[in-house]
Amino acid sequence: MTPMMSRPAMRLALLCLLIPLAVWFWALLHGADGHAVDLDAVLAGISGAHPLGCDALGRDVLDRLAEGLQLSLGIGLLVVGIGAVLGICIGIMAGWFGGLVDSLLMRLADIVLSFPGILLAISLAAMLGPGVDKLVLALVAVGWVGFARLSRAQVMSLKNTPFVDAAVSCGSGTFYIGVRHLLPNIAAPLLVEASFGLAAVIIGEAGLSFLGIGVQPPDASLGTMIREGTSLMLVSPLLVVWPGVVLFLLVMAVNLLGDALRDSLDVRGDVR
Amino acid sequence: MLFRLILYRLLQALPTLLGVATLVFLMLHLVPGDPVDALLGEMALPADREALRHALNLDAPLWTQYLHFMTGLAVGDWGSSLLDHRPVLELIAERVPATAKLAGASLLLAVLIALPLGFWAARHAGRKQDVVAMGFSLLGVSIPNFWLGPMLMLLLSVVLGWLPVSGMDQPGSIILPAITLGTALSAVLSRMARSSWLEAMSSDAIRTARAMGVGDTWLWWRHAGRMAAIPVLTMFALQLGAVLGGAVITETVFDWPGLGLLTIEAIQQRNYPLVQGCVLLIASFYVLANLAADVLAMLIDPRQRRA
Repeated sequence: MTPMMSRPAMRLALLCLLIPLAVWFWALLHGADGHAVDLDAVLAGISGAHPLGCDALGRDVLDRLAEGLQLSLGIGLLVVGIGAVLGICIGIMAGWFGGLVDSLLMRLADIVLSFPGILLAISLAAMLGPGVDKLVLALVAVGWVGFARLSRAQVMSLKNTPFVDAAVSCGSGTFYIGVRHLLPNIAAPLLVEASFGLAAVIIGEAGLSFLGIGVQPPDASLGTMIREGTSLMLVSPLLVVWPGVVLFLLVMAVNLLGDALRDSLDVRGDVR
Repeated sequence: MLFRLILYRLLQALPTLLGVATLVFLMLHLVPGDPVDALLGEMALPADREALRHALNLDAPLWTQYLHFMTGLAVGDWGSSLLDHRPVLELIAERVPATAKLAGASLLLAVLIALPLGFWAARHAGRKQDVVAMGFSLLGVSIPNFWLGPMLMLLLSVVLGWLPVSGMDQPGSIILPAITLGTALSAVLSRMARSSWLEAMSSDAIRTARAMGVGDTWLWWRHAGRMAAIPVLTMFALQLGAVLGGAVITETVFDWPGLGLLTIEAIQQRNYPLVQGCVLLIASFYVLANLAADVLAMLIDPRQRRA
């Protein structure tokens, strides 16, 4: 077991994060305002005042990138957080109680998994209407399943181990066993699932926003910026390049982090 | 025996399909407030609102609506488009060939890249070639297709002018969408091919064959290749369904007139019955593709029949 930080995947992940981090620091130092319209600077090129130029409304691209990065990452973390808590609770319950509870919950998971890719999130978001809260809801509705199935499988394999039997015979309650005995023992694969899940959710959010059913203008997400850039590709091609580069590097870093976590926590490759 | 197993699997898929249909039915009731308000706006005449409510069958009790929806699905009446009142199934049928063409081309491309790449990586496991191949795979899963598409378009169509920008009328117009959609697939498949080949090569059967003097090339292709084929074929069948999910975005990027673009158009027009029809069709196909993957594995590998 090599320490986490000295793994090549981890180093590469940090390297990938350099540009997104630089964008973020720029916003912190500079007090970015991605909403400030300046009609004199419409589609302005690269300059000292606007390091990456301006978009069709004269808004600073770098400022918008910083906002978009924060929003995309924020939504990603929120969705994975809620999805993980929900999924782990459901998974532990299904694995622990078995029987009817298990069949019902896993049937529900099967139904969610019957929709390829982000199609379910797309249709849910489309029906719920625009808004970040609804976007999060649609992504959580898809995202909990991975955690639920994984924790269920892990709990089922732990259920009959001596230390769990001991806890039961000492009179520990179900909730106590779940939180103090089961959860710590299944945390490693869940952490790996969470990092791959984060990558998927970030792409999912950007995809929905790209389709126009996620984050709505004038707010910036990396997906909406790619959408806006695509429509101006013939006039100002760089507008579609920047948000994509940041998104791609971010997703790549998170995927590499997942690889590094998987290897250093010695989780078997079948998580993904 | 095998036939009964396959039949059993088919029956197992039925409740899932029913669940999918139920979820798609309930989707319409997720529309905040009243779908009729969302469609016509607050200023609509009461008579128009009632007419639309009746057309969507929203004036009946929920369980009647549900029964109506499900029996409609069973007899091939998937409702009609709110815009031109044409049957949903007819609109979908028009778009299926374009999606089939795109999906076929992407899968073909993915297999042509993934199998040699996976084999090459496995053959050189742990060395530079492996790192290069798996680096490509990592790139492939990390690059979002709604960005890859515009970038390819920018480079190959706008700057170099080699290929048509979008649509499907010109001879080369399938190339860019197929690459866009096929990249992620080939990344997943090549990773799978590599690990299955490696796993096969470390098995007892291969060790025995090697001890008995089987040549290296024969060993890799004939023996390990057949063992690796099972997980790879299963994965391929799974991708057959997954590709339709990716097609939604790819078709939107390239204005490719298939099922995915139809879904997005229907969403933008708030044409709810059409959205439901498209989503249901894609999801059902995905369920059936998963089923096919299971059956395929059982056909190739007798051990799978025991489970």
